[in-house]
Amino acid sequence: MPIDGIFNTTIDLLGKNIDLRVKNQNLISSNIANAETPNYVPKSLAFEDELQGALKGGHKGTPSVTDPRHIPLKGTKDRLQSVTGRVLETPAETPGKDGNAVELENEMTKMSENQIMYNASVQILSKKFAGIRAAISGGSGGN
Amino acid sequence: MDFFNSMNVSASALSAERTRMNLISSNLANANTTRTPEGGAYKRKDAVFAATPMRDSFDKVLNNAANRDIRQVKVMQVIEDQNPPRLQYDPSHPDANAQGYVALPNVNVVEEMADMINTTRSYEANVTAIQAAKGMAMKALEISSK
Repeated sequence: MPIDGIFNTTIDLLGKNIDLRVKNQNLISSNIANAETPNYVPKSLAFEDELQGALKGGHKGTPSVTDPRHIPLKGTKDRLQSVTGRVLETPAETPGKDGNAVELENEMTKMSENQIMYNASVQILSKKFAGIRAAISGGSGGN
Repeated sequence: MDFFNSMNVSASALSAERTRMNLISSNLANANTTRTPEGGAYKRKDAVFAATPMRDSFDKVLNNAANRDIRQVKVMQVIEDQNPPRLQYDPSHPDANAQGYVALPNVNVVEEMADMINTTRSYEANVTAIQAAKGMAMKALEISSK
């Protein structure tokens, strides 16, 4: 069994997802910090579709793999690594008198959502490693 | 490390909100002060916030596009409210003018209380953001720790 079979794309995908969630968290904290700054427009990171595209192949003009006998021009691993996400401006529909377009409730919701998704990815990644560990130790639960 | 960017941004907001809270306390404490070193009644003070990029070190310049959009908040200046003072008729007051009117500070106590609640809530939101970033960093340490 090749080593790629053990450390398959799931681990790369989860790692990248965790990475991008941290970047999104940075932007959300920036929005919360500037909730009272005049003329500030909140931003957020959109990466879900790009990540999905990288996983499926065919993203950004790379030929997609539609048959197991195809040789991919660029591996899924490289494609996953190259995902950076897009920074979008997400202004509130009704900015305040000072031009500030942050809605604190919205940002707090986005933050907890981001946190839950992050924790979920970490949890799955831990289980993934635990599964590999169990396989190595023959399922005896030994160290 | 990325988490520290997030925490630094929130910390900058905590410090800015605290500055604003100090100014609100000062405004409330001096809501009836008629004498100041500059002469005349006390004038209401307010902080001006500005979003500034986090690019104070070489390391941060090299960071990728997502990090370039992070803005921390800074108190750029403290302004004095230039609205006219409240005039109250009180001829017995030592600071009354020739017509018997005393110039009282242009501080509206109700407005200051509303600002205070606003500041408190913003402060709390930033504390929550710091806790979230800390929780995420701690969670990352759990990967592969059984």
